[in-house]
Parts: sequence; structure tokens; C-alpha cells
Amino acid sequence: MEIEELKKKAAWLRRASFEALVTAGQGHPGSMMSQIEILTALFYGDIIRYERGQPESRSRDRIIISKGHATMGLYPIFADIGYFDERELEHIGTRDSMLKIFGNINIPGIDATSGSLGHGPGVGIGYAMAAKKDGLDQRVFVMVSEGEMYEGSIWESAMFAAHHNLDNLILILDRNHKIILGDTEDLVALEPIKDKWDAFGFETINVDGHSLSGLMDAFSCIGNTNGKPLMIIADTVKGKGLSIMEHVPAWHYWQGMTDQQLKESRSELL
Amino acid sequence: MESVTQRDVFIEAIKKKARQDKDIIFMSADFGAPALDSFRDDLPSQFIHCGISEQHMIDMAAGMALAGKKVYVYAMAPFITLRCIEQIKCSLALMDLPVTVISVGGGLGYADAGPTHYSTEDIACMRSLVGVEVISPCDELSTNAIAELTLRTPKLRVIRLERHALAPVYEGGFSPSKGFNELSSGERVCILSYGHLLHRVQEAAVICEGKGVGVGVIDVFCVKPLSVELAEVLNTYQYIVTVEEHCSSGGFGSAILELLSDNDILKPVKRMALPERYFFENGGRELLLNDFGLSISNIVDKVMSVK
Repeated sequence: MEIEELKKKAAWLRRASFEALVTAGQGHPGSMMSQIEILTALFYGDIIRYERGQPESRSRDRIIISKGHATMGLYPIFADIGYFDERELEHIGTRDSMLKIFGNINIPGIDATSGSLGHGPGVGIGYAMAAKKDGLDQRVFVMVSEGEMYEGSIWESAMFAAHHNLDNLILILDRNHKIILGDTEDLVALEPIKDKWDAFGFETINVDGHSLSGLMDAFSCIGNTNGKPLMIIADTVKGKGLSIMEHVPAWHYWQGMTDQQLKESRSELL
Repeated sequence: MESVTQRDVFIEAIKKKARQDKDIIFMSADFGAPALDSFRDDLPSQFIHCGISEQHMIDMAAGMALAGKKVYVYAMAPFITLRCIEQIKCSLALMDLPVTVISVGGGLGYADAGPTHYSTEDIACMRSLVGVEVISPCDELSTNAIAELTLRTPKLRVIRLERHALAPVYEGGFSPSKGFNELSSGERVCILSYGHLLHRVQEAAVICEGKGVGVGVIDVFCVKPLSVELAEVLNTYQYIVTVEEHCSSGGFGSAILELLSDNDILKPVKRMALPERYFFENGGRELLLNDFGLSISNIVDKVMSVK
């Protein structure tokens, strides 16, 4: 898909993610909106290899949203690529829906139950190691948040992945700068985050996480890292695309909207 | 015949099967055993050293299990249970993955290392996790049978093993199917235990017998789940004594009380466990157990007090 087409797809995904939140009446919009271009590039830029309508495929690439609160952002994509009926999206988060606020492995296409921070990279490494042992040409993509950088298990996993040359492991850090109580650099500084991942033995790339061409360039490094696992640090804006929530920590959680706010937000997403 | 430690017995059984099954993966967080040295030499592609990173090891085990591997994770008891309980919950139990957690050195097994290396809250914590089986065998034969059980029907289990070799309890054979074995039947009093302390319980039962009090002894090697069948056996006794090398809060004794309550069986139950404290004292495991209320004579006294 060309960049202009990808941009249209990203706009669609942002609208679909917003409507998923409205339908559920709960969820994590800040993080769902910051990851839109990343997911668009992965699924519509021919980066992640999948078979339409075949979530059970053993050989397809794996995707883990380690920041599990944003997993809901995968649902519109999974419906779009035939993993389940798109009518499922009409009742996300309702009592009888299989689509939950946080993803779990009972949902077609979800490769790991997540929610508690810091587990995704380790689980992803398990998949990546298994693929290497089985001789499968399978890549494992793990989306992490900067909030997860505070979890010690992340660094345990990082050390291991580099030691074992897991070049089929691709971590993407959705660096939207905000955790629940404010900006990471004001609370407990993470920077220089690239240096940290470099030091842990990853091939590390900084990219504008809302630039589809930049992301496509970054993903072109997959398989060309001299055996290193890859960390793509995507600089993003929490709540991207909606003026009511951009840079506003409270919109980590869905806050509810008045009819007027809904109308204005939808118009911003057109 | 020289006794072999439970971990060597267990690993040897896994290795035997792993030779034919490349999907068996054994992970260690820098914890060894002679049998593991041999596993690493003979099956290097099926062994993974995870660094001293128990949390990562559990997460990685989950990923490998999701990819179809039959995974064993192995470390010292306090570190592979409480240190990574959140990983066992979120990455294993939540996804109901068939990973075997081999936890070595339960109770005061690492005396005199002190409380960081003791595992006296692990049963309470592990049995609280949904769907996790908790098993603690008491000798070589039963350990081998439990290892074979994990190979035959993989599921999420925590296997609490002893650090040192234990004398044989089962001479003629061992079946893990019921989750418990009534080693001797008594008239009014029954003592329930598992693992290391089961051996003390057996000695105490002999002394009680000499005093004219025949007591039942049951090896409840499967601490979770406990079966209705066990409840039915307990219902034939008037008094029940539980003995465990663990704190009393939420441990095996608590589990027995829950079993009886859930089956509407109202019986006097006396729980013998370690006191609610940490142990910095020197003297070795056997002396510490004596000092803290779990000597053979303590068990005898308890039986005689309720008979």
C-alpha cells in the first residue's frame, strides 16, 4: 500500500478506534490513539505477515500488545482482515461480547493475554525462540509503552534477547511521553532511552511515530540488524488526533463525552 | 543403594523423554543439579539458561508454551514462586498454559541460609492461583511418578521438591492418580502431611502405636487440588492433625480446613506449622524444626492430646 493509501487507512483506524471506545464506554484512548500509525504500517504496509481470515495459522507473524490497555485498537484491524465478523465491533465491551477492554487469547488473532505491564517482551521472546528452534521464518512484534520501561522484567528480557541474537524479535516503543500521573521526564526520567536499548544490545531506531513513511523506513530494517533484536522507538502524542485529549494525562482513561464533544471529535477525525 | 535427590530423579525422567521429544524445553535460572549437567551436555538445544531472571523465565516459558513447547522451569523455591508470582498468574495461569514449575528447597530446606532462602509461604501463594496444581512428593519413587505425570498430562503445576535426598516411603509402587495415599490407617486420629515432614510423621506414628494409639498417616502429596475422596477418608476419623513445613497462614492445614468445610464435615483439626515469624537462627534444618514446634515428640504430643 502506498503512503497516501496508508494515511487513509490510518484515518480509518483512528475513527474505528474512537468508535470502539464510544461503544464500550470505557477503555484507554490516549494509548490507542498514539499507536494508530504504528499499527497501520504493520498491518497495511506489508510488514506483519498474516493470512486473511486465518488467525489460527501457525506460521503467521505474532503481535503482542504488551501495553494491554491498548489492545482494543487491534479489533478493527482483525475484523478488517477477516479474523472475525466486523459486526462484533458493534458491541465491544458489552456483557456478551467476546471483545474485551483488554485482549486475551480467546479472541481470534490475540497472541498473548496482556494487561499487566512488562510481560509482553518475555512472552514474545518465548515465541521467537520457539520459532528459531522450529526453523520457522516467523517474526514476533511486541508493542510496549514507556510505562513498561519502569518494570524490571523488561530489562531481564532485553538482556536475554540480545544474548541470543533474536533478530526475529521486533519491539516497538510507543513513546507518547505520558504515564497516568504526568510526563515521564518529570516523574522518573527515562531518557536517554535509546542509549539504554543500545547498551542492552538492540539495534535501536528513533522514528516519528506518526510518520507512515518514517515508520516504513524503520521497519525496512527488520532482518538487517546483524543478528540483533530490533527496538523501534516511535515518538508519538498521547491521544493523537483529538484536541480534547492530546497531551492530557486524564485521557489515559475514557472520560465520557457530551453529545457536543462527540460531534466535534468525530468531525476532527474525518 | 545411594539415595538420589528429588531434583536429579525428576530431571532424569524429563531427560529420558526429551531425547525423543524435541518440544520438551528445560529452563533454569542459574540453578543446577548433576542430572541437569548431563541434560545440558546431551540435549543442549533443549536447555535454556535464563540468567538469574525468574520473572523473565516465566514470561518466556509462556511464549514457548503458546508456540507448542512443553516447558519446564527450574529454580530455588523462594525465587521461582514468590519472586515471580505475578508472572505465574498473568503469563501462565491466566492463559492456562501447560508449564511445569520445579521449585526446589521447600520450607527450611536451605538452612542455615536464612529467610530469604526459605520457602515458608509458597504453598499459600501458589495454591491461591487459579487452576494451578501444587504437588510435593516425599521420596524418589513418587518423585519419578510425578515427573512422568507431567510428561503424560502436561498442565500448569508447581512441583515442590526437597533439596536433599529422602528415605524411601513407597517401596512397592506409587500412583499419583488420587492425589493422596493412606500409608497407614488408624482408629480415631489421622495425621496428614507431605514432603520432608511426612518422614517425621511416620516416626511419630510408630511411637504413638507403641503408646497404644493407632493413628492414620496420609501422604497428601497433591496439596492442590484436594479431592472429595480425601474428604471421605477424613470423615472416617474423629481427629485430624496436619503437619507442614510452612507458615500456618493459608498453607496446607488451611487447605484441609477448607476441604472439610466445603464438604460439610465438622471435625476437630489441629494444625502444626511453623510459627508466624522469619527464621534467622543457626543450627541446621532438623534442629530448627525441633526448636519451632515440629519435632517428632511435638507431633506425638499433639496426637496424644487429642486422642
